[in-house]
Amino acid sequence: MHELSICQSMMRVVDGAMKSHEGAKLRRIFVDVGRGSTVEPTLLREAFEVFVSGGPYEGAELVVNDIPLVGRCRPCGRRFDYQEIALGCPACGSVDVEIVSGLELSVKELEIDD
Amino acid sequence: MTKVDVREKVLSENERVATANREVFGRADVLVLNLVSSPGSGKTTLLEGTLDRLPKTVRALVIEGDVCTARDLDRVKARGGTGVQINTGGGCHLSAQMVADVLGQLDLASADVVFIENVGNLICPSTYDLGEDAKVVLLATTEGDDKPMKYPAVFHESSLAVLNKVDLLPHLAYDIGKVEKEIAVLNPRCEIMRVSALRGDGMDAWISWIAARLADKRRRES
Repeated sequence: MHELSICQSMMRVVDGAMKSHEGAKLRRIFVDVGRGSTVEPTLLREAFEVFVSGGPYEGAELVVNDIPLVGRCRPCGRRFDYQEIALGCPACGSVDVEIVSGLELSVKELEIDD
Repeated sequence: MTKVDVREKVLSENERVATANREVFGRADVLVLNLVSSPGSGKTTLLEGTLDRLPKTVRALVIEGDVCTARDLDRVKARGGTGVQINTGGGCHLSAQMVADVLGQLDLASADVVFIENVGNLICPSTYDLGEDAKVVLLATTEGDDKPMKYPAVFHESSLAVLNKVDLLPHLAYDIGKVEKEIAVLNPRCEIMRVSALRGDGMDAWISWIAARLADKRRRES
């Protein structure tokens, strides 16, 4: 359960972006959270509510873009949901696979009222 | 309503501090290994066995991370080791800043290898770069043979997987081949070692791995 410290880091990024928009009201934060990022969106939202309550960002909404963990087989090129992978590529059985998405953890954009 | 383009990693600040740590370690010419596992997998026992076996030419320092107590650092000191204890006070992982904060207490210039024993946790530490050269994940046979696929991130990030407590294999329903295959699927570049830190199995291979990584780092930087 490290979503509180993840949330703290996320809000530091938000603070940095809000610096050049002094006096603006933060409405929404769009974040990419990959399923392989070790961050649980529900817990992140809960941590976010605790963080913004009573502060200048109170009322802002956290919008989580849940990105599936996708693997790709190097020999045959097949893409597949990594969660379902048993012991290799579902098409050819090769274990030479790479993760192509699902490790993201970033603040994408903000919506503000100037 | 205005859109503000951000596109910044949530952990960008941690990455910045980790990069600074890596530069400090690089200047001191030390190899840094971040040991990660669940609680009770044998990280400290592995360190004890390592301190007993490292050749005199490889001088080690230890950074211990735990929620509470200095028990692990006490065990390291009992084997003649030196280091520093970080207590996270509830935090489930070490961050680059926590490591940066204790670097001043370590005589890096007279060390060759720094072991960072992370807080026992198979999830969160995989997300936080500390500035290490390599992550080493430990998985004990007592944890069950289904774990790599259940906790993929840490195996994806690690350079070496130490399968510890192999001395208990005769007493367990544990398919070590299955574990090795799952790790290979998650990360083909992750080396795998069968070890019993307590009994000594595989410890020579582990010591050789450390020496080879150290030599490799120094060759690349010279």
